[in-house]
Amino acid sequence: MSANSKNDLLLECRGIDKNYNGPQVLDGVDFSLRRGEIHALVGENGAGKSTLIKIVTGITNRNGGTIVFEGHEIPVEHSKIASEKLGIAVIYQELSLIHGMTVAQNIFLTKEPLLAGLPFIDIRKMNEMAQAMIDKYGFDLRATDIIDRLPIAQRQTVEILKALSNKASLMIMDEPTSSLTATESERLFKIIRMLKAEGITVVYISHRMEEVYDLSDRVTVLRDGKLVSVLEGEEITPAEIIRLMIGRELTEDESHHKMVKKEGDVVLEVRNLCSEGKLNDVSFKVRKGEVLGFGGLVGSGRTELMRAIYGIDPFDSGEINYLGKPYSPTVEKSIASGYGFVPEERRLQGIMGGISITGNVGIANLDSIASPAGFVSSSKELERAQEAISILNIKPPNPDHLVGNLSGGNQQKVVVGKWLIRDLKLLIVDEPTVGVDIGAKEEMYQTIDRLSKEGVAILVVSSDLPELTRLSDRIIVLRKGRIIKEFTEGVVTEEEVLRAASGIVEGGAK
Amino acid sequence: MNAKSPVIKEHLVELRLFGVLLVLMVVLSLISDRFLTVDNLTNVLWSVCLIGIMTTGAIYAPITGGIDLSVASMAALAGILANVFMNVYGMNWIVAIALTLLIGAAIGWLNGIVTTKFLVPAFIVTMAAKTYLFGVAMLVSNGDQITIMQPAPFLQIGIGKFLGIPIPIYIMFALVIVSHILLKKTVFGRRAIAVGANEVSAKLTGVNPDRTRIIVYTISSVTATIAGIVMASLTQQAYAMNATGYELDVITAIVVGGTSLMGGSGSVIGALIGAVMVGFINNGLNLLDMPSALHPIATGIVILVALIMNQGISLPAVLKKWFSRPGVAEAAK
Repeated sequence: MSANSKNDLLLECRGIDKNYNGPQVLDGVDFSLRRGEIHALVGENGAGKSTLIKIVTGITNRNGGTIVFEGHEIPVEHSKIASEKLGIAVIYQELSLIHGMTVAQNIFLTKEPLLAGLPFIDIRKMNEMAQAMIDKYGFDLRATDIIDRLPIAQRQTVEILKALSNKASLMIMDEPTSSLTATESERLFKIIRMLKAEGITVVYISHRMEEVYDLSDRVTVLRDGKLVSVLEGEEITPAEIIRLMIGRELTEDESHHKMVKKEGDVVLEVRNLCSEGKLNDVSFKVRKGEVLGFGGLVGSGRTELMRAIYGIDPFDSGEINYLGKPYSPTVEKSIASGYGFVPEERRLQGIMGGISITGNVGIANLDSIASPAGFVSSSKELERAQEAISILNIKPPNPDHLVGNLSGGNQQKVVVGKWLIRDLKLLIVDEPTVGVDIGAKEEMYQTIDRLSKEGVAILVVSSDLPELTRLSDRIIVLRKGRIIKEFTEGVVTEEEVLRAASGIVEGGAK
Repeated sequence: MNAKSPVIKEHLVELRLFGVLLVLMVVLSLISDRFLTVDNLTNVLWSVCLIGIMTTGAIYAPITGGIDLSVASMAALAGILANVFMNVYGMNWIVAIALTLLIGAAIGWLNGIVTTKFLVPAFIVTMAAKTYLFGVAMLVSNGDQITIMQPAPFLQIGIGKFLGIPIPIYIMFALVIVSHILLKKTVFGRRAIAVGANEVSAKLTGVNPDRTRIIVYTISSVTATIAGIVMASLTQQAYAMNATGYELDVITAIVVGGTSLMGGSGSVIGALIGAVMVGFINNGLNLLDMPSALHPIATGIVILVALIMNQGISLPAVLKKWFSRPGVAEAAK
């Protein structure tokens, strides 16, 4: 291994381009990593971080640009297996370990030590080797522990060990602290510094600015698929990073979006909703034409709350009043009585990729396109699909187009559009613009604004703080299944929301 | 815009299959002058009508992303039950058929319940049903090949003709039309496709996937029962081994017909063409006096080719990927 000199580059990407069926996700991005540095990759949702990582790790192919790793040029037709062999490892957020196996079995999967001359695994040797690695780093683990029984933080260490055993020289961590407690995070930071001391390069992706600020040697900032800046040393400050990420001096209107008190009738009232391990005594009201935002970290119970209100998951106790009457939700009833629901995971929960726009719109509108005897009118179905296409400007405007082949933004428009042609009273949107290009994002915002003017009550869940403050008339922040803060009227800054979501008390230390 | 184009687009799979069928017919008629006769063509349709009838209901399982392997055992059992009801208990033949259909529906419903409520994969549930239904059929029939001598109207179902064409062919076409309408024109058809395309999304859009699937397996079992009744009448026989292996022919017809086993799409007419195509191939081999061992080989090749075609992946693309893989790893050394 060579010295940690400034010019000793481990990875050098030049002019990386990427587009998925249309929108340019990465546009001529340069990205370089030095040997043995901790390098943060930051940007707003949709800035292109994940795509860049997917290209480096061979999960997707780039459309243009060159990548040099350890002096070797990486071809466009790259694969994940090839990149692992090169020594590039990704520590996944959703971990990729095999659950029923032990720590040692996972670490040595596909490279198990064999009994001399025989095609059988030398289990004792494998366990010893694994334990030696664990002890070397001082992890609190046993080689024979079964993965299922380990907490998330421990599994993450197993992932790191697995990467180490692959002789990884580059480890990429995508939001590694999102499901860790503060102590666990601290322990992870220690491990990351240990990796650095060993000469391993760590790419760190996080939305938590303090972490980035504390850990990183250098920071690459992406915005709208372009490289904005690479910060180093003194230049790294949370304020500067945020300024570069957002990329414009926020106008008064944007950074301090005025929240307006809405006076309409109460559409939905939730009282003391509890659900074991998910929700704890949640109460709120939303009025006609009001956009109520829900902030909080991943796992704070926002999605669970929405699912309970819509009728997907049952809840243990509490009451819901809808349009002034007690209401016990089921999905079918909710749809029939004017709900619309845009789920968190578009690809897994929102779209039916293998069928047409017409099919996707039709299934939510069977009540208006079918006769009481159950016969569907294809012409009415087509009309409804065309309506949705024209309301939301879906491209291409071809009702027969398979939804799976549309761009992310247009897929999302289909998911939203199928509700908009109904008599909508309450729309629930969970992360409405994840993986959506800037143009479609703005259109989505305008749609939500318009619906609110038309008197629809809207619940917005978003981890994208600018989005949340931009859209909401009122913001409720959840933490561990509880309402921890409510912002009404006046102005709210992204920072205030984030502080509440992170559980930082007013004026408290971090 | 061309008014015709959407219709063509909608039936692209069927049209392409029909083209293949025509080519096959031309080839066979060139090989054998006995092929293109009314008698022979009627015979082929007659030989595929049991598979055809089963297909009209069994197709909904793959459309929802499942599978029904119990149809053949169900059909064999149905013939035996109908015979017992008529000739042991002396029931009127219509009552006997109605009762048999009811039992078929109940077994399908049970398959659906176990799949949806107890979360056992449909493959396993229907394989178990295939096994125990066969056992029940053996038990009830004592393992015998029972010849059905009466009642006469019942026997007419299988061997009777109307306008010179056997009645089972009418039954098959009637069920194809009903099933096609059910799939393409009803709320149930839309829901079945949605469940197969993305169950979670369907559920969040107000479809009840469990209810849909239970209906799917009930329908599948009912058409298998109809096929079993027709078969008993056609062969004048109630025998537990009568339909052995038919479930694979049914799946072949469905897959060749352009329905993906992954769910989310399907074509009843395509499946009919698929069944007829397999019938033609076997018929062609018969006409050429080929040994019967060639029939399963031909059927197997047809399934593979159809599946590869449905995946839409070209051979050059596969080869290119194959040979470009090791490059990077080598460079790293």
